[in-house]
Amino acid sequence: MVGKTQSNEEPFGATEMRLNARQWLATLGILLAVNFAAPVIWKKAERFDTGPDYRVPYDLSRDYWLYARWTKRVAVPGNVIVLGDSVVWGEYVRPEGTWSSFLNQESDHRLQFINGGVNGLFPLALEGMVRHYGKMPTKQKVLLHCNLLWLTSPEADLSATKEVHFNHSRLVPQFSPRISCYRADTNERISAGIENRSAFLGWINHLQVAYFEQKSIPNWTLADDGGDPPQYRNARRNPLGNTTMTVPAPPADDPLRGPASPRHKPWSTVGVGTTRFDWVSLDSSLQWAALQRAVRLLRARGNDLFVVVGPFNESMLAPENRAPYQTIRNGVGAWLAREDIRHMTPESLPSLLYADASHPLTAGYELLAKRVLADPAFRQWIEKR
Amino acid sequence: MLFHTWPFAIFLLVVLPVFFALQKTRLWLPWLTAASYFFYGWWNPYYLLLVAYSTLLDYSLVALMDHCPRAGPTAQKGWRISFHGLDDRLLKAAFVGAVVAALAIMAGAIFGPPTLRPTLIGAEVLMLLMASGALFGSRRIWLLVSVVNNLALLLFFKYAGFLVSNLNALFAQRHLPWTLADPATLMPFGFEYLLPVGISFFTFQSLSYTIDFYFGNVSRERSLLRFATFVCFFPQLMAGPIERARHLLPQFQNFPAFRFQNLTDGASLFLVGLFKKLALANYLSLYVERVYEHPETSSASALVIGTVAFGWQIYFDFSGYTDMARGVARLMGFNLMLNFNNPYLATSLGEFWSRWHISLSSWFRDYVYIPLGGNRLGSWMTYRNLLITFLISGIWHGSKWTFLIWGALHGIGVIVTRELERSAFYRERVPRLLKQVVVFAFVSFTWIFFRAESLPDALVIIRRIPTAGWGVSNIPALMVALVAAVWGYAFLYESRCRDFLKTGFVRVGLAVAMVLYLCLCASGGGAFIYFQF
Repeated sequence: MVGKTQSNEEPFGATEMRLNARQWLATLGILLAVNFAAPVIWKKAERFDTGPDYRVPYDLSRDYWLYARWTKRVAVPGNVIVLGDSVVWGEYVRPEGTWSSFLNQESDHRLQFINGGVNGLFPLALEGMVRHYGKMPTKQKVLLHCNLLWLTSPEADLSATKEVHFNHSRLVPQFSPRISCYRADTNERISAGIENRSAFLGWINHLQVAYFEQKSIPNWTLADDGGDPPQYRNARRNPLGNTTMTVPAPPADDPLRGPASPRHKPWSTVGVGTTRFDWVSLDSSLQWAALQRAVRLLRARGNDLFVVVGPFNESMLAPENRAPYQTIRNGVGAWLAREDIRHMTPESLPSLLYADASHPLTAGYELLAKRVLADPAFRQWIEKR
Repeated sequence: MLFHTWPFAIFLLVVLPVFFALQKTRLWLPWLTAASYFFYGWWNPYYLLLVAYSTLLDYSLVALMDHCPRAGPTAQKGWRISFHGLDDRLLKAAFVGAVVAALAIMAGAIFGPPTLRPTLIGAEVLMLLMASGALFGSRRIWLLVSVVNNLALLLFFKYAGFLVSNLNALFAQRHLPWTLADPATLMPFGFEYLLPVGISFFTFQSLSYTIDFYFGNVSRERSLLRFATFVCFFPQLMAGPIERARHLLPQFQNFPAFRFQNLTDGASLFLVGLFKKLALANYLSLYVERVYEHPETSSASALVIGTVAFGWQIYFDFSGYTDMARGVARLMGFNLMLNFNNPYLATSLGEFWSRWHISLSSWFRDYVYIPLGGNRLGSWMTYRNLLITFLISGIWHGSKWTFLIWGALHGIGVIVTRELERSAFYRERVPRLLKQVVVFAFVSFTWIFFRAESLPDALVIIRRIPTAGWGVSNIPALMVALVAAVWGYAFLYESRCRDFLKTGFVRVGLAVAMVLYLCLCASGGGAFIYFQF
């Protein structure tokens, strides 16, 4: 039996891990040094190749540290960062078929358009992305895309009361404004807030996303093949050996994207739709409010901003559903005008150039780039030094 | 609020500075009580009523017990009818109060809503017992009220579902026309029927105080606030260590002297606990869960490794929790008892139980085994007492047959190793390492019953181990390396290398390595296993 002590002093513990003040100071000093140095050294040591038309690969969409590194690299005079969701990123198209790529091809090459879109992003997450990972120098030209798809229903707007699971939950406001369909517990919310503010934790997330199949190392060692009994394909692999010190490149030939992909096809064969969206008004929309905050944040940082609203696939809408859409579209334009923000609201593209309600196909992006470049306000904006 | 979560970190960041700021005032104790109640209420505020009720009742019972004459030589002979209670003003008031309450409860049971009736009948029995305790001025009756009350709480919240389902199955088998109501339907005011976290711990802690007072081992605590803090002290409220009044209550008499070393010691304990929980227990649980979810398809090697891994998982989980609890208490200057002492290095099962969950095993030793007669009545009675104690210990862990079998196996194991220890050959000739391996193997075998979802699952595992194929095990190398490193550390600690582990270089190196590992590899959240008990 463990002997009872006569005094109040209990045995310390089953181990001798008992650090005194000096040892704690040394420990904290080392940890602090690692905290600051590791991401910086890693950034210098890790190879990160980005060719023309580079976009953050789909598999690295959650690697916000990499996104910050990428935007910091490309945020230089002479570049225009195109921010937005999967419409900017190019859900159905190859990197050379994206909007930013066509803007580069169709312009006079005095400015370089950079694809700063992230797959799966939406305005509430975009706001978080801009706030924490998209810090760009003053006067940096930013082209922001406003996708009205996020107002098509309370679920898309995240203003529904029923629980909704969505991507990039770490980026949305965790406590205020309240997103009632987001049911993370307090610990998750605080964790998200801390991770978004710590470069060290962001770097750890980068390691997990880039090298360990978006898992923690323990979970990676137990990644199974789905069989019963499961076989753990990484059980014998050395985690250090998996860290190749090169950011994974996007697949050379993505079968899910591009004109050769079966997904790359018009949304309808006839091009006329009868969809009735349950549009959320601008006054009550969480996504619109988030986009407004993102716009104000970019302007407050001194960025030179231009907003393109849509174009939404209007052919998809049932006739009676067009009026509420127009009200919203006009409302967005009116707010941007009131705030004195340069913007344009291009006409809807021909119906068969859309893959769905908001994503153009390759030819759609090409046409959109031409229309945007032809807009006098836009031309004036890109020519402004 | 789990120790390894951010809300707890924020909670502690608020509680600690205020606690230290109040050291020169009388408010530090109310602050500690309020913080403890907030901590418990974070999980489910309704069940705060349960903690408060248990506290208030045991506090009052001891106060009433204090007004009764101690049992003299005549009282040893049996019950003596005497109306002591009518000579004492407090007991007289208690008698009148209990009678009035009993009448009111009876009226409520007769005229009130039927859903409240079973609860009110239970309360009626308690009131009648209290009335008789006051009337006869009997300490023994007050003790009985405390025991009945605490065990009734446990029985209702922890075992009622198990008992009702088993009895209903028995009635159906015997074609008897009876059906007992689901205990969930007996909850008053529509409260949800949940197992209150920590109920097994705070009831045992409170109960130990009344028993100790009855036997004169502890003096009466006159401050309700101090006693309430003793019952609900937040570091150990959820899963122990189950403290004794004579150890913890005196620590609440005065503000603990501030020593800087308490902060460094507390942080050291907390870090070790955090590492055990997040880096080791949670990782092992990922492997164990997959094996135990599908025992019928797992290979023999997976079942063996999964079982051994569970042995380590539960150790790291529970001892990690305890380390964190002791660390948090130490930050404030309070000392909680040691609960784990490298149990897997034990050379006998008796020794294992003096190293594993020490606060519980000593509780059962003091309040079950010794009152049953301990080892004072000959070999057979000792065996009987050991077996009863371990059966109760088994069922304490949960209302499942598997826990009962687990307790029984440990009881038998303790008896067998106790007999082996009598032989000089076993004591002196059998190598220590062999004894450690055998004890570890036996304990691991019993974990099958502890971990399996059901008795049939446990039997499937035992049947498959010798018969299913022994394919190449699929356990991650990293997991093996981590467990081996920790086991090696414990081994070194019990060897002549202990002094080496005390060097500053080793300590700082290990602390840095642990924090970095936690940042890089922690396997997410997950509640502590012992919270379900």
